[in-house]
Amino acid sequence: MTTNLPQHAQERLKGLRSAANSTGVFTSDFSVNEFLLVRKAGFEPIGLCVGSCVYHVGIQYGVWNRNQELDVLSKAMYHARELALTRMRAEASQMGADGIVGVKLTIKRLEWDEHLLEFIAIGTGVVHGTGHKGFRAHDGGPFTSDLSGQDFWSLLHSGYRPVEMVMGSCVYHVAHRGVLAGLSSIGRNVELENFTSAMYEAREIAVERMQAEASAAKAEGVVGVDIHEGSHGWQTHVIEFFAIGTAVLPLDQEIAPEKIADPIMVLSVND
Amino acid sequence: MGFFDLFKGPDAATLAAREAGAARHAEVVNALHAGQLPASTRARLEGARAGRLPWIATLTPSELLLTRSHGLRPIAAVSSTCWLHYGFSWTNGHAEGWEMALQRLGEEARAAGANAVLDVKMRTLPVYVEDSMDFTLVGTAVRVEGLPPSADPVIATVPALEFVQLLEADVVPTGLAVGAHFEWLSDWRGNATRQGWRNVEATALSNLWERVRQRAHAQLRQNARGRGNGVLAHLNFSQMFEREMGENQPRQYLGRHIVIATTVDARRGVPIPHDIKMVMDMHAGATPLTGTTRHHQSYATNDEEGAI
Repeated sequence: MTTNLPQHAQERLKGLRSAANSTGVFTSDFSVNEFLLVRKAGFEPIGLCVGSCVYHVGIQYGVWNRNQELDVLSKAMYHARELALTRMRAEASQMGADGIVGVKLTIKRLEWDEHLLEFIAIGTGVVHGTGHKGFRAHDGGPFTSDLSGQDFWSLLHSGYRPVEMVMGSCVYHVAHRGVLAGLSSIGRNVELENFTSAMYEAREIAVERMQAEASAAKAEGVVGVDIHEGSHGWQTHVIEFFAIGTAVLPLDQEIAPEKIADPIMVLSVND
Repeated sequence: MGFFDLFKGPDAATLAAREAGAARHAEVVNALHAGQLPASTRARLEGARAGRLPWIATLTPSELLLTRSHGLRPIAAVSSTCWLHYGFSWTNGHAEGWEMALQRLGEEARAAGANAVLDVKMRTLPVYVEDSMDFTLVGTAVRVEGLPPSADPVIATVPALEFVQLLEADVVPTGLAVGAHFEWLSDWRGNATRQGWRNVEATALSNLWERVRQRAHAQLRQNARGRGNGVLAHLNFSQMFEREMGENQPRQYLGRHIVIATTVDARRGVPIPHDIKMVMDMHAGATPLTGTTRHHQSYATNDEEGAI
């Protein structure tokens, strides 16, 4: 059976080391399956790219009984993420990457100061195996994408390539209800229409902003979009709507639908 | 034992047992000091190597099937520990602790006549003892049929399935690499965290983070260089603290970052031998197509913080 193992792998298992690693060391946070799939897709990881930003978020209060966007907070949440992503991308450019796969964007609160938020973006810089530059973003820099290695493979095989991570943020103050309105609905099921409409408006603003970014990146569409509702230590009626996804473009040679293999149906007999 | 026995001295048998115990401990410590295996461990591993003792594997039956189908034979379960007290640096202690455990695991694998140790797991007891921590590695030493024992067995911190997947793609997982860096920042001007109504970046802290992370990753590369030509970093850990230093003293900020990775020796440009087929699992339950997976990874590292 060992004859099936590649020669180089056998030699390493015998304890023989290959001569000095001429290619240098690549770093990545891929899992084994992601690593294999990204290579299968024709790319090689070259290095982890990190960008971070510690941001002092300004102060803004909503009017108690009014639905309104809190633009100071919206801008802070957007600007800080953008700084982290830009730094990550600058690192990737420096190492000559064609793109960044599997970007994880996280926010941490620093416990000693409620106004400080830490934004981190980490992803793996990759290069095309045969040096094809057509995968870069519209500005000639590396593409960015929060898709996993598995999703990256699937996306390429569906005839698209990632261009840029796009996002939109809207921090919104949902109006409190007046006392009279509260009294009038005792014992009845009523829709809280101003709450509903607040959700609609805030979500719409976030999605529109993300879409505008995608247009600016000259993308055809946005895949893997998540509309996330979160609160980062604000009062209860203050919510952030955050839309994020990967803007995509068709490959140079678009794959005809009939060329895309149908998935095989399997039935797992595991529990 | 009767009540009055409590006042008697220990009998000869107890004393002998105690002495034997102390001697065993001394032997373990001496052996580790000399960079060798304790005698009992060596005897067990050599017994397994010669086939006098049954083999021991941490693998499940289906993993056993997979390894056997690729010509691997389990020899023995191997493990190593280094319980380390953090002297001057907690952060660097992690790099030292894992490095020492890795060396010792390699020693056990050599004694077992292995080509590789797979399914290596990192373990730590969930106890707090005087600024210290145990760095423990556990895995299964295996032999590749048809190959002589290795003088430098590879240590694969991946499960059996991933181990053979990698081998088929001509990638050999070889060991662990750690990058750890910490830095203190003294805020002499008192403006690291400006208060106010405006949105501003806390530049001093951002810079601290950038530096700490970049150095940790640079150290990871450095550490990996001897073991392979790439790493899969599965663990990124970072913390920042503020410390008040009293009247008229600047505040201090500590940033620390630890990244731990599986090193691989990957032949570049080798095509992946298997075709990838898309399958649709008709089984009721989680599949990537029903949207139950986390296809947004953005939450992966800090769910509890309400990420993005």
